[in-house]
Amino acid sequence: MEQVWTALFTIVLGIFAAVSWFWGANFCLDRLLPARTGDPVQNARNIHRASLIRPWLFLGPAILALGLYLVYPVWESLFLSFHGKSGQDFVGTANYRWLFADPGFRESIFNNFLWLLVVPAASTFLGLLAAALTDRIAWGNLAKSLIFLPMAISFVGAAVIWKFVYDYRSGDDAQIGILNALVTWAGGDPQAWIALPFWNNFFLMAILVWIQTGFAMVILSAALRGIPEETIEAAVLDGANGIQIFFKIMVPQIWGTIAVVWTTITITVLKVFDIVLAMTNGQWKSNVLANLMFDWMFRGGGDFGRGAAIAMVIMALVAPIMIWNIRNARKEMEGR
Amino acid sequence: MANNPYRWAVHLSVVLFVLLWTLPTFGLFVTSFRDKDQIAVSGWWTALGSATRNDMFRAPEGEGEVEEAGRFTLTGSVFAGASGHVKAFGISSKAPDAFAAGEVADLGDGESLSVAEDGSFTLSGPESFKDKRGQRIFFTATTPPSFTLDNYRAVLFAEGLGRSFLNSATVAIPSTVIPILIAAFAAYALSWMQFPGRALLIAAIVGLLVVPLQMSLIPLLRIYNAAGQALGFDPKSYIGIWLAHTGFGLPLAIYLLRNYMVGLPKEIMESARVDGATDFQIFTRIVLPLSFPALASFAIFQFLWTWNDLLVALVFLGPQDDKLVLTGRLVNLLGSRGGDWEILAASAFVSIAVPILVFFALQKYLVRGLLAGSVK
Amino acid sequence: MRKLLAGTAFFALLAGGALAQDLKFAPGEDARFNWQSFTDFSEKYNLDGQTLTIFGPWRGEDQVLVESMLAYFTAATGVKVSYSSSENYEQQIVIDTQAGSPPDIAVLPQPGLIADLASKGLLAPLGDETTQWLKDSYAAGDSWVGLGSYKGKDGASALYAFPYKIDVKSLVWYVPENFEDAGYEVPQTMEELKALTEQIVADGGTPWCIGLGSGGATGWPATDWVEDMMLRTQAPDVYDRWVTNELPFNDPAVVGAIDEFGWFARNDAFVDGGAAAVATTDFRDSPKGLFASPPKCYMHHQASFIPSFFPEGTKLGQDADFFYMPAYAGKDLGKPVLGAGTLAMITKDSEASRAFIEWLKTPIAHEVWMAQSGFLTPLKSVNVEAYGNDALKKQGEILLNATTFRFDGSDLMPGKIGAGAFWTGMVDYAGGKAAADVAAQVQAEWDAIK
Repeated sequence: MEQVWTALFTIVLGIFAAVSWFWGANFCLDRLLPARTGDPVQNARNIHRASLIRPWLFLGPAILALGLYLVYPVWESLFLSFHGKSGQDFVGTANYRWLFADPGFRESIFNNFLWLLVVPAASTFLGLLAAALTDRIAWGNLAKSLIFLPMAISFVGAAVIWKFVYDYRSGDDAQIGILNALVTWAGGDPQAWIALPFWNNFFLMAILVWIQTGFAMVILSAALRGIPEETIEAAVLDGANGIQIFFKIMVPQIWGTIAVVWTTITITVLKVFDIVLAMTNGQWKSNVLANLMFDWMFRGGGDFGRGAAIAMVIMALVAPIMIWNIRNARKEMEGR
Repeated sequence: MANNPYRWAVHLSVVLFVLLWTLPTFGLFVTSFRDKDQIAVSGWWTALGSATRNDMFRAPEGEGEVEEAGRFTLTGSVFAGASGHVKAFGISSKAPDAFAAGEVADLGDGESLSVAEDGSFTLSGPESFKDKRGQRIFFTATTPPSFTLDNYRAVLFAEGLGRSFLNSATVAIPSTVIPILIAAFAAYALSWMQFPGRALLIAAIVGLLVVPLQMSLIPLLRIYNAAGQALGFDPKSYIGIWLAHTGFGLPLAIYLLRNYMVGLPKEIMESARVDGATDFQIFTRIVLPLSFPALASFAIFQFLWTWNDLLVALVFLGPQDDKLVLTGRLVNLLGSRGGDWEILAASAFVSIAVPILVFFALQKYLVRGLLAGSVK
Repeated sequence: MRKLLAGTAFFALLAGGALAQDLKFAPGEDARFNWQSFTDFSEKYNLDGQTLTIFGPWRGEDQVLVESMLAYFTAATGVKVSYSSSENYEQQIVIDTQAGSPPDIAVLPQPGLIADLASKGLLAPLGDETTQWLKDSYAAGDSWVGLGSYKGKDGASALYAFPYKIDVKSLVWYVPENFEDAGYEVPQTMEELKALTEQIVADGGTPWCIGLGSGGATGWPATDWVEDMMLRTQAPDVYDRWVTNELPFNDPAVVGAIDEFGWFARNDAFVDGGAAAVATTDFRDSPKGLFASPPKCYMHHQASFIPSFFPEGTKLGQDADFFYMPAYAGKDLGKPVLGAGTLAMITKDSEASRAFIEWLKTPIAHEVWMAQSGFLTPLKSVNVEAYGNDALKKQGEILLNATTFRFDGSDLMPGKIGAGAFWTGMVDYAGGKAAADVAAQVQAEWDAIK
């Protein structure tokens, strides 16, 4: 019980600290550079100065946290990627040269591109579909919760769930995986799904799509609900049918959110490793970069240099998305 | 109206969608109520109806035998408490269905065995069955669906579960609230304030989304240890893990919230500015309330992630008994080699309860109309 | 007599004192145990108020067992012990030692990982006295010293890890009554085992259940097979050169051992579900085929831990039993035994952690676990009568009768090979790839980490 009170107290304290920082800093700024001094020139100068400083007050805690928890480790990884196994002796670009010659790396990056092609597209599309459809029916909230369920299940649980989907027993034995049960029921031969090179990628992807559709649905559903009713009513009056309204009116309005969901899932794909680790550990040619990195980092004491080099490659892959986001942000600014 | 078939199509597709999405989970749900030895032998769907299965029962070693006129008789049921219909039985693993129910099998040495359709067996012989290995009775039977609560009992009454539940809540709640607060301010600055370097900062945040967690653990723990040593506090504390979850969750929080805030109508801000409101006032009085759907949806995800997380908790809080989080406790219920499917299945549903409650609680904020009314 | 009295007085004190806690076996009562070693130890150490954190691989039931042993350490010394484990203990130990917040004692089953920790200077050497003690007190002591010795940061070899609790791997599990029903005898030689395999097929049955599936560790059960085959086709020194890669992985000797495994696993008629099912069947589900009706298979090759995955209520010795994986009569390589085990090491030097290593030298630290389940020890001074059941005693005998004892090779190899390339290679091999190609692929990966 004591722990509950401590926790509650700390929560309140933490929130109070954060609020008082934002409020207090803002208050001080207003005091130091008042907008109403009686002198119009001074006023204008103060307002200008304050508007230069204020964004950084708002951003301060975020930048601090990001700097410590993410930027610093990236910097550390960059440093490690030029060093040997235990991170002490400088080896130049040896890790990168090794990487690009490694067949395991080539296999992983090929699979990663497959994942990048399929998973974000499939999850976003299915999420959009789920959001649009469930918004129109009375039991939509229930349906949403059920589609969201995979997102909420712990990873260990998800791995067992899919074991009972993909499990393989030979033809004469009773199947315990539902996919093979369906296949044999339809008269086909059971397959060891996760052991079929190349195709197993898609069976693993199905798991991530299954999970991420719930994510896409929640975000897109919130966006769809933000569309002003008036625009839809106007389209209905013009005689547009449901599908036309959806594609011509609604989708363009939430285009920005679709892009955000797509980006987020793309990044999730780049980082995905627990699905692969638990289902195949990259065997049967199903490895991906994040799992390869994990493998080099932690298996048998690990090789931090090579692990870090793979991490740098993963981070480099996100560059196109970053550039695209910069352009988007610039465009928004012009519109202001 | 042509609305009707269209409505039906919508309903039907949602039903299909939901079925497809819940079927795998439903399988685990059924599994969580099944007997541990059946799980790896037959599909979970077979548990829903009566199933024909082959099984083996070992007769007790003379316990309860009756002696009558020099013959010892041992009776009982092969179903041991459950019910079913025996079709055939056997006395050797080579021919487990050699005899039809009701027939008498000769075991040699004057011993005989018969199994009736209702599962009751009669074993008789000239000598006592004591101190002999119990006779194996193989049988083929149709059994009605049977479910057990044992798996849940094993999980729910595990030692220290309540404690771990509290630990998880202590980790997850602040780890959800703190990043939202920090991210909301940052997102506002990135979407509605003008300053140099804004686009670059946004791109940097997108870039930070991809930083693999595993890379951060060692450098961060090293800092924690160094700071703990210098300032004399325990490096593995709740505050440490809250801040860690905050750091790891921030990029997504800022990214999602900024995207939402940027879409808020410009007119509101401008009219507020004309009225003399400062940025701080605009943020707290207009933007924050309007962003509730986005805040709620991020809160759901961050809560899920922190609740289900094991790795960050183990690294920054430790695996000690008094600090172990729920996921850790449940995983430790499995043996050293893992893979007790029945425990895995039951614990998955025990741990999912809280996130689902959070989802239901916050779902009502993901509503239409918050904006619609305020545009004018 | 005086000593005995003193002991009794001590136990009386213990029972009434603050130290009394739930000890599994009341001190001084059961004559199978060496209580003298307990009394002596507690008289020697008084570390009241100190704490010791131990991080190990044992979870679930095993955690209960290890904690029952640790309770005696606490009772004897007053040290408050906190044992913990986690699913990814391997990963966690790397993170914690690297970041500078290790537990006091770490227990690990992978010599490859220990070698790595030692080379980074993260372990404390155990000293010459302990080295000598191992040599003298453990059966085949030299090989245990070899197992616990690694190169430190300075490049010099020293004893860093203390072997405690071992598993025998060269076991074949079967259901005795199924053998009786079919009229099969337990094979005494590899030739007989192969003949029996063929006999079972001729009788219309399936001899083996083999499953390599293990989630993130898929493939490891096959490495045990190959190692057992290595020891049965090659001299022990070849095995030793193999695990250090002095003998390349693609040497014909190794390829031959892989193909010996293939003789069993790659024949559709020999394995339940056919060869295609071998790689994907979970190793925890695999033994269940022994108990099916009619049996899906008659034999299962696995280490001594596997009974925890037998159906509930299975009585060892009656419902299921095991025999020693036999050696070729025609090869004159004796009776080799493959084993694995856990090693304790000091990750943070302190009075309490030194005392803990000393504690592991006492017979009582072994006997209280032996008397329960799943624990074998090479310590010569323990009372073998203390073994909790016949199965353990029988495994202990297999250990004693071994002419050669070798540690699990995949654990001895560097982590990237023994817990990576070797697994992957065996999965590929089970999928139909040629043994020579698989061996060459593993060797290529081994070259890449040199």
